[in-house]
Amino acid sequence: MSGLSKTGRALAAMVALLVLALGSVPSAPAQAMPYQRPVETAPQQDAIGGGYKTPAVQRAVPRDYWLQVLDVVLLGAAMGISVWLVLKRRSRRWLVALAIGSLAYFGFYREGCICPIGSLQNVVVAIADPRYSIPMVVTATFVLPLAVALFFGRAFCGGVCALGAIQELVVLRPVQVPRRLDRALGLLRYVYLGLAVLFAVKPGLARDFLICRFDPFVGFFRRTGAPHMLLLGGAFLVVGMFVGRPYCRYLCPYGGLLAWCARLARRGVSITPGKELDCGLCAGACPYGAIEEMRAVGRNCLYCARCYATCPQDGELAHAKAELVRLKGAAPV
Amino acid sequence: MSENPTRRDLFATVARGTVLAVLGGGALFLVKKANGQVVWQVDASRCVNSRLGEVGVTACNLCTTECVVALSAVRAVNEYSRCGRCNICPAYFNITSAVNELGQPSEKLCPRDAIARRPIGKVDPEDPANNFYEYIIDEEKCDGCGKCVMQCKEPLGLGSITLRVRYDKCVNCNRCSISKACPQNALMQLPVSQALQPAGVLRPE
Repeated sequence: MSGLSKTGRALAAMVALLVLALGSVPSAPAQAMPYQRPVETAPQQDAIGGGYKTPAVQRAVPRDYWLQVLDVVLLGAAMGISVWLVLKRRSRRWLVALAIGSLAYFGFYREGCICPIGSLQNVVVAIADPRYSIPMVVTATFVLPLAVALFFGRAFCGGVCALGAIQELVVLRPVQVPRRLDRALGLLRYVYLGLAVLFAVKPGLARDFLICRFDPFVGFFRRTGAPHMLLLGGAFLVVGMFVGRPYCRYLCPYGGLLAWCARLARRGVSITPGKELDCGLCAGACPYGAIEEMRAVGRNCLYCARCYATCPQDGELAHAKAELVRLKGAAPV
Repeated sequence: MSENPTRRDLFATVARGTVLAVLGGGALFLVKKANGQVVWQVDASRCVNSRLGEVGVTACNLCTTECVVALSAVRAVNEYSRCGRCNICPAYFNITSAVNELGQPSEKLCPRDAIARRPIGKVDPEDPANNFYEYIIDEEKCDGCGKCVMQCKEPLGLGSITLRVRYDKCVNCNRCSISKACPQNALMQLPVSQALQPAGVLRPE
C-alpha cells in the first residue's frame, strides 16, 4: 500500500514538474502572467507633464445644411433646364448633356441619396407616425417634381433623375412593347408603391424601406453593394438596351405618382403643334410608347426629346435639309 | 387652348388646383413637424464590443460587414481624455502573443494596423514601461471591426475606444443596414447634436 502511494506521489511530482517546465518556456502567452491594469483612471495633461496637450477627438460632422439646401436648389434648377431644353429648345443633344450632368452629380457624387423616389417613403412615414419627422429638404425633394409635373409633365424623369439617366444612356435598340402588355406591366409600379407604403408605415424595428433596399442602381453609384443587387442592376441595364427604361416605366413608384400629375399638365411635350405632317417618324422613335395616334401622352412621356430629334419639320433633320438646299443653290452645276 | 376652354380644360385646371393644394398642405404639415436632421449612432452601452461584461467573446464585426459604405462608416474612435496611455495597451498589442525581449507582446491586435502610438510627456528612453503613450487611430485605415473596442474596457482597459459613426462617410440610409443586422439594436437615430457627443461614460468614476 505504502509503495503504491509512493509511486503515486512520484508521478504527481513529475506531472507538476512537467507543467512547470511547460509553463516557463519563453513562448508563454502574456495573458498567463498575472496582468493588472496599469492605471485606475486616465492620466490627464498635468499628470503626463512635458507640455503634453490632449488632442481633440476627430468628429466628422454631417453634410452642412446649406449643402443640403443646395441639392434641392440644384434639383429645381435641373428641372427648369429640362423643361426649357425640351419644350423651348427641343434639343435632344443638350438634354443628354443634362442627363449626364445629373447622373454625375445626383448619382455618382451624391451617391443616389437623397432622391424624390425614396423620399416618398419618408413622407408617408412622417404623415403616419406622429413621432417621426423629416427635415424640410426631404419634403421639398418630394414635392418639387410633382408640382413641376402638374404644369409641364415629367420633366424630372427626363434629364434630372439619376436612375432614369443611367437607363436613358443605355437605350441602344429599343423595341416597341405591345400596348396592352405595356399597360399591364405599368400597373406593377402601383403594386410596388402599395408595398413600399405598407412596409414603411410598420411601427418601430419592423419598418422597412423597400424602395431604397431594392434600388437596382444605387450599388453602381456607391461603387459597392451586395453582389445580388449589383447583378440585378446589371440585368436592368442589359434589358434596358432593348426595352426603354424598364425601371421607370414598370417599377418606379414615384413615376406612378408623376404620371398622375402629368395627366393634368398644362403644357407637356406636344408633337409639333400647328405644323403636323403626321409622318409617324416620332412614334417610331419613341422607345417608351408615349406617342399614341400621333399625339404625345403626357403620363408616359419621359422627356427624352427623341421625337423632336427625328422630326423632319423640327429637329436635326430639318437643319440637315436646310444645309442640303443651301449646298444645291451654291453649287454651280 | 386658353381662348376656347373646353370642359376638359376646366376639369384639368380644377384638378390641378386641388392637387397643388393637397401637396402644399401636406408640405406645410411636414414642415411644421420637422425638427431637423436625425443621424445614426452606435449606443456604446448596448454594443457588444464596448458593453461591460462581454470580455473574451470574439469581437462582433457586423458594423464592418453590413455597412453599405466601402470599409464601413463605423470606425473606432479613441476618446483621448479617457485613455489610460498604458505601455501595454490591450487594444494596441495582442496580449496573448509571445513576449519579446522588451517585455512587450510581440504582435499587434489591429488586423489593418490602424493604431499608431508614440510616447508622450517626459520620455524615459531606457524603460518603455515608465512612459505614457498616445494612441491614435488612423480612421482612414480602420474598418470598424471592433477588436480593439472589445479589449479596451474592464478589466484591462478604461473603455476609451468605442465604435462611432463617421458622418463624412455615412450616407444616412433610411434604415441603416447595420441596425437591421445588429443583435443588440445598438444603432439608433438621434438628433445631430446628440449623436456628436462622446460615447457615454462606461465605468463609474
